Amino acid sequence: MASLRGVSRTARALPLSQLTRPAAPACVQQRRSNASAAAAAASPELQELEVNSTLSTPDLSPEEKAQFRPWKRAKDRQLNLPGSRYQYHPPKFTRGPLHPIQAPPASDPIARDFVPGPFNNPRLKQTYRSTISSDLMTLTYNHVIPGTPDREPAERLRTWEGDSPYFKNRPKRAPRGAPQLMVREKDITFRNIPELAEISVASYVPDCKDNPDMLLVARMALLAITGAIPEVTKNKTDVQGFGMRKGVRSGVKVTIYGHQAYEFLDRCLNIVFPRIKEWPGIKGSTGDSAGNLAFGLRPEDLALFPEIQGNYDMYPAKMIPGARVFIKTTATSDRQARLLMQAMGMPFYGSLKD
Amino acid sequence: MASLSLNLRGLASRLIPSGPLLQPITSKCIAAFSTTPTHPAPVDPKAAAAKAKLKASKAAAKAKKSKRKGAEEKDPKIIQMMRHFAAHNPKNIPPPLRMARNRYLRHWTIHRGWLMFRRKQREERERTLMRQYQSMSTACEELRLTNGPGTRDTGYLYRVAMEKKGVYGHKGIPIEYARAQTDTPAKIAWNHEWKR
Repeated sequence: MASLRGVSRTARALPLSQLTRPAAPACVQQRRSNASAAAAAASPELQELEVNSTLSTPDLSPEEKAQFRPWKRAKDRQLNLPGSRYQYHPPKFTRGPLHPIQAPPASDPIARDFVPGPFNNPRLKQTYRSTISSDLMTLTYNHVIPGTPDREPAERLRTWEGDSPYFKNRPKRAPRGAPQLMVREKDITFRNIPELAEISVASYVPDCKDNPDMLLVARMALLAITGAIPEVTKNKTDVQGFGMRKGVRSGVKVTIYGHQAYEFLDRCLNIVFPRIKEWPGIKGSTGDSAGNLAFGLRPEDLALFPEIQGNYDMYPAKMIPGARVFIKTTATSDRQARLLMQAMGMPFYGSLKD
Repeated sequence: MASLSLNLRGLASRLIPSGPLLQPITSKCIAAFSTTPTHPAPVDPKAAAAKAKLKASKAAAKAKKSKRKGAEEKDPKIIQMMRHFAAHNPKNIPPPLRMARNRYLRHWTIHRGWLMFRRKQREERERTLMRQYQSMSTACEELRLTNGPGTRDTGYLYRVAMEKKGVYGHKGIPIEYARAQTDTPAKIAWNHEWKR
């Protein structure tokens, strides 16, 4: 939109284009100038003042006014003129940290991966923040006598000891008893109370080599349940016994975070689990000793989710898969994660593994 | 922007209606209020003819393929699912929003206010937890140095307090407390006398 700020007031008064703001009518403008001239003439101190502004341009003759046709100039222009001010647009591809144009953060509304929110407060999250967090802290409180000196952490990665001079700067050995460092249970203080971090749902559909539609139905089912678009996974190894070949697309997985995860867990605990026939609970031996729990859902249990029950007929018969649900928390041991889940209403059965 | 292919700006939760509703409206909305006549890009007649020919040949090949397959039609439910996923294709991501200066400034102001509000809430929560922890700490320290009730020796109550019997077991949290907060909670949280 062309701006006519540079044009004089008299020229702006004419209705030259629909885009210009209609200025004050000419009589009002004249009245203003007459008033200023009269004031200057009356008082002797204001005699030295210039009445005419140095910023004004001389009046245009009728011929000059007839020649001023910005609409015609724009119409006759063959090529578009470049913009006069720099317009920033988020780049489609990041070309490295040294490139002059960087992508804005996802919280920026003009960013390409902007997601608006939040629009609700999940009740499990509110319950956690108001009661569960302080309850867990109090239940598991371990007193530290004030003045206890900080203990030096024991070296778990072992150094090479011996006569050989090559041992000096060699990378350290794996910890005793495991190929990687295992998560050690940390005391729960007000700074590290276990909280729900993310939930991963995965579904393995090996029958899709006979019927490829089953993979699509599995993907649709997980999308309906979680609200996030699932990714298709491939076989990692060849297993001749099961007829598995490496690289064949055979599963779907999806991970959800934050509010989505809380609401999914809420639906599981309050809608799905109560409706499973003869459900004993979640197995007590679940857990990876790093604060993550998992459970499985059979196809008949997965169909109990309200998103699938609502339009059950849209799924072809017997194609709804089962799924494995992995609940990841910020707990540092099995029993801490279990305590958190029990506080949210998840029952466990059988012997509890620590 | 690593997860751009999967983050379609909340599209997954907005099920797009399929069928005749899905009309391309963008062609009608270009330059809605402009008075300057629009000039489409200059078209090379030879290139346009070659493109049209290619399209026609592709359509013919597709028709031939479907004829060869015979009566192998896909379940309409499967077709519906495929169309749903086609709408979520990364190439159908809507373009990013564009904002004028004042519009952007309003958003920025509100966003900063929201972040400040969240920060205050978070710090209040953390301070509350810290106070609770510290009060527990002073109480336990006090217990550790007091002589127990009656003839018990120093720190007896402290040692009892540090016991965690049953905390990590099956009955760690009473079942009446293992519920989400609701506007209308049940009068009886758990009926222990219930029988089938």
